[in-house]
Amino acid sequence: MIWKPNPLALIGIAMISAPIIAHAKIYVSVEQAQKILFPNKTLTKNPIIITDDLQDKMRSASSIRHPFQGDRIWKAADGSWLVIDEVVGKHEMITYAVAINPNGSIAGIEVLEYVESYGYEVAEAQWRKQFVGKTASDPIKLNQDIQNIGGATLSCKHLTDGVKRVAVLYELALKNTSSPGAQTQTIKAK
Amino acid sequence: MIRCKPLLGTFVEISIRENEDGLEAIENAFNAIQKVHDLMGFHNPESELSLINQLAHKEAVEIHPWTAQVIKIAKEVYLASDGLFNCGIGHRLVAAGLLPRHITFTNHELGGIEDIQFLAPDLIKSDRPVCLDLGGIAKGFAVDMAVRVLISEGITSGSVNAGGDLRVFGKTALPIQIRDPGLPEKLIEIGSLKDGAIATSSLYFAKRDQQISHIINPLAQNLSEVHAEVLGSFSVLAKECVYADALTKVLALSNNEHHPCFTRFSAQALRIAA
Repeated sequence: MIWKPNPLALIGIAMISAPIIAHAKIYVSVEQAQKILFPNKTLTKNPIIITDDLQDKMRSASSIRHPFQGDRIWKAADGSWLVIDEVVGKHEMITYAVAINPNGSIAGIEVLEYVESYGYEVAEAQWRKQFVGKTASDPIKLNQDIQNIGGATLSCKHLTDGVKRVAVLYELALKNTSSPGAQTQTIKAK
Repeated sequence: MIRCKPLLGTFVEISIRENEDGLEAIENAFNAIQKVHDLMGFHNPESELSLINQLAHKEAVEIHPWTAQVIKIAKEVYLASDGLFNCGIGHRLVAAGLLPRHITFTNHELGGIEDIQFLAPDLIKSDRPVCLDLGGIAKGFAVDMAVRVLISEGITSGSVNAGGDLRVFGKTALPIQIRDPGLPEKLIEIGSLKDGAIATSSLYFAKRDQQISHIINPLAQNLSEVHAEVLGSFSVLAKECVYADALTKVLALSNNEHHPCFTRFSAQALRIAA
């Protein structure tokens, strides 16, 4: 182990005049995420129109207020899906990809971009409101899952909510697109 | 190439110098972390850890070599810290609502890591019922295992960061930034690290979220002292992340950078005042 301490840090943090601010991090591109999550599979863009009803159901299941965008959805020939979504707060954003197996189970999650909080002391109070009021008697809310990662950072909870939202999307919309009757829900990719 | 996945209740970031050709190595490293998660997660009622908590006082439990290794190190740090580090505090976190309740315990009968006996390298038994939580050590171990996988797959240089449990390997020296415990969105550059590990414990996020302290004092005599209300942030540098992770608790609870425990494990302690 070679450790070279910053001499300024040893004197005291007050000496460091220009603090570094936690910043955005870009991990992988959409193309890279596709390659990582579904190697050797050809994915076709398969955007869907998110109806108000679907949007409402996804919102109530995941507690995420901002709307889901249906334009970043891909499908493989074997019935696998790849959905890219983001969890956005006032000051933070996590863009992530969820891979779904043909049987509907989650195959993998990859974080694409993660913007850490700026001035969250204010923002988080509002963020937290969306978790307040969740009770065990709420059958589709994420209460259980959120408790399950107790002690983790809020961002992690947001992502959990996001994954839940994508799982709901699959259940309510994607699952049925393979049946011919539901094809009207899909629109052509550009 | 740098990738990030949600694992161990946090974001795990793996960074390597190689680009796309290191994808498989990174995947295998994530798998190693997932395996630690599956074996030693408290949240999963079927993990090996949960089985130990349910059965070890009744019968001998066969465990995976990785779990055995973590328990062995946990016992080692327990002894060196005079009990300041003890994984037998799971029930405290359950009682505080920070961990799920799988089993009902009558707290006064519960033992700690000192009650776990090795009958064979992969066979343990407990003298008393235990509610072990490896949360304060397994994350560091997972980081070490991921680094081991990366090195064995020929990756020459990189880092693994599991929400503040970080290890750097290879030629690169990584600048280390720590959140200012008073203003956590600001980072303080504390130095650069090459071929070593650093872990940090602090309560700034717990305080912000008005959560009860997750730093448990295993030696607390009365209930009001169980959840240690520590100020500032507590980092430990060590060769391996498993030691760095475990020792942050010793630093936070003793509030003493010169605790003999650190020399014993060739570690360095670093406190940042709030």
